[in-house]
Amino acid sequence: MASQKLATLYNELQRAFDARPSDLKKCGTLLAQLKVGLIEAGLLIPQGETNLHDLVVARDILEIGVFWSIRAKDVPSFDRYFSQLHTFYTDFRSSLPPSKREFAVRGLNLIRLLTQNRIADFHTTLESLPLPADEINTNPYIRHPVNLERWLMEGSYSKVWNAREEAPAEEYKFFVDSLMGTIRNEIASCEESAYDSLPLKDAATLLFFPSQSGLLVFAQQRGWQVDLTAGMITFAEKNDEQVEIPTQKLIAANLAYARELEQIV
Amino acid sequence: MSDVEMVKATDKKEDKDEKRDEKKLEPKLEPPTPTQEIKANIALIDRAINDLEARFTHRVLRSLTALRKRIDDKVLRDAIDENYPKESAVKNSLLSWLPPPPPAEQSMEVDTTSEANATAPLPPSSKPTSDPVPEAEIYLRLLIIHHLHSSKDTYSKSIELSHETVDKMQSMNRRSMDPIAAKIWFAVERSYELGGELADARPMFLAAQRTASLRHDDDTQASLINRLLRGYLHYNLYDQADKLVSKTTFPASASNPQYARYHYFLGRIKAVQLNYTAAHTNLQQAIRRAPAAKTAPGFYQAVHKLFVIVELLMGDIPDRSLFRHPVLEKALSAYFDIVKAVRTGSLSEFQTTLNKHAAQFEADKTYTLIVRLRQNVIKTGIRRLSLSYSRISLRDICLKLHLDSEEDAEYIVGKAIRDGVIEGRIVHEKGWMECGSQKDGYGPEASEVFGRRIGYCLDLHNESVKAMRYPLNAHRKELAAAQDARERERELAKEIQEGDLDDDEGLGDY
Repeated sequence: MASQKLATLYNELQRAFDARPSDLKKCGTLLAQLKVGLIEAGLLIPQGETNLHDLVVARDILEIGVFWSIRAKDVPSFDRYFSQLHTFYTDFRSSLPPSKREFAVRGLNLIRLLTQNRIADFHTTLESLPLPADEINTNPYIRHPVNLERWLMEGSYSKVWNAREEAPAEEYKFFVDSLMGTIRNEIASCEESAYDSLPLKDAATLLFFPSQSGLLVFAQQRGWQVDLTAGMITFAEKNDEQVEIPTQKLIAANLAYARELEQIV
Repeated sequence: MSDVEMVKATDKKEDKDEKRDEKKLEPKLEPPTPTQEIKANIALIDRAINDLEARFTHRVLRSLTALRKRIDDKVLRDAIDENYPKESAVKNSLLSWLPPPPPAEQSMEVDTTSEANATAPLPPSSKPTSDPVPEAEIYLRLLIIHHLHSSKDTYSKSIELSHETVDKMQSMNRRSMDPIAAKIWFAVERSYELGGELADARPMFLAAQRTASLRHDDDTQASLINRLLRGYLHYNLYDQADKLVSKTTFPASASNPQYARYHYFLGRIKAVQLNYTAAHTNLQQAIRRAPAAKTAPGFYQAVHKLFVIVELLMGDIPDRSLFRHPVLEKALSAYFDIVKAVRTGSLSEFQTTLNKHAAQFEADKTYTLIVRLRQNVIKTGIRRLSLSYSRISLRDICLKLHLDSEEDAEYIVGKAIRDGVIEGRIVHEKGWMECGSQKDGYGPEASEVFGRRIGYCLDLHNESVKAMRYPLNAHRKELAAAQDARERERELAKEIQEGDLDDDEGLGDY
């Protein structure tokens, strides 16, 4: 280790992190100190000749940072740690021994992209995974987000709902809540266009609400008409808006044709 | 029996043909040997530099692929010998990259030269007294690098040589060298790919790209952007590739092959990012700009593989005739199976096809894209059902599409309705789906599509007008011709007038 101080801090961090339940506050302060230490030792963004063992330790610290951010429910901090780790995972891939936590971290990142509805980023990240395609289906950390995405795209929302308990690591569950919010909104928008009306009871099961009160609040947010006596939800009639003739556009196009024809003749 | 006879007969025919060809050729010049061709090319390069006409250089480079296959150590040595004066530093440095000639050959050469010297002094034009233009040297180096690629033992040497050549090119900094430089970069990439890690060349390419764009060196820039993109995609670094594309502008004057490559890379990036419409346009451009299917079958096949998948992802079914194309038929057979599965909307068939051809798809790097097709298979299935039934129960949908549960079916149908795949309603109480009527084909969309096509035709016209070339001062001749024509016309008019008079006289006689 670059300095004795870093080593002791690192050991302390490991202890604090491994303790059950882990001491989040202590981890936070330790991580902050360690990051300063890493920068001083030139290891945060490794440059020049560096000791392999030091790099492994630096990677470990950052990985703990990733998990700590999730436990502390701090997504921006997760982002930062992840992008710092990226150097270790890609540029030093050939020289460093593989990390046990690597795919857990990568899987977390995938889930995060999914909850933020960044599907394009999700796929680019997936493509750049250093895994052969058939291993994507066998690696538990990667399989989970990949399946979630597939179900979301298909519309098999109940499968997503049922999979929320099957997370491969404790940290994955943090994202589940926001994911549920996302799919609830998805389902709601589907219902608005697919149904004229829906009984309250069925709507609650479709939207995974355990009780009616939750549904009523949700219905209010989306502006649905709820008829409590009949127990029905009526969705606002989407009045087929009159198809307007896009005059401006047509004129512009015709003028452009005229100009081009003028040039030809 | 008959087969054998047939073969014999054709053989004889061919023999005859060959004989005839030989006879025909004998009086004429025999086809140029590679050495002569190189010499002619160097003359062309020289002309290009003197006349400031880059198209001669382009003509030289066009023959590169064909020439590359015919060169060997001796050809290159002879070419260098013939084009450089005896004591030239450049010549020696070039020769040092080739293995020394075997002694027997050397003595032969000496013999011939001495003989030639003895019988008649060579005409002065054939033995140059000064070095040709530096572009010629780079051209020879390019040939040598390509030659070094042909054997495994010389890969490391080719990397060395390409480094030296790049240094030389950059220190000379001549604009007239740009087209050749672009080809050199291609050779550099190939050296790295064969001899080591492609990623190692990236910093060099990036630096060179920056310089090229500052110097408005379009040929090199186009070549380098493609090199970089290829490097990124080779390692699946789509993020970086995307950033490179957004930060650079591809030079508009780039040649068609470069454009075709660029569009192909763009198409791949866009497809991964789920931007299928853009990917589709890019791939279409790549196909249009690519050389004919027979000359570059590899590229043609690769583009079409991706094109088929993107088309499927967009919800279209590719043309059947595409799979009958002689160049594509074999290469695309796995993709044809996938298309069939998607067309029938059967998930189980899709899954078995996918498993069967998994290895090929992975080699083509299309596996993850094809996996995404799953939802399209479902959508196609739902669309077929909605077209054929006016009302269908969710249970039946579930059975027909092999879905896991009715609950799933309800969500999936709901999503399909929202996404506009089908028109319809779900009646939850009764547990069925009612299908609405299809939209008619008239509306603003029709005019939009029409507008797009017109735009394309107009673009094509304008581009072709721009692409026409006129030789310098040729209009003078035309002007003279016009003058002549006018004079003739005047004469004619005069004659007619006189003739008229004659006629009048004649009439008068009557």
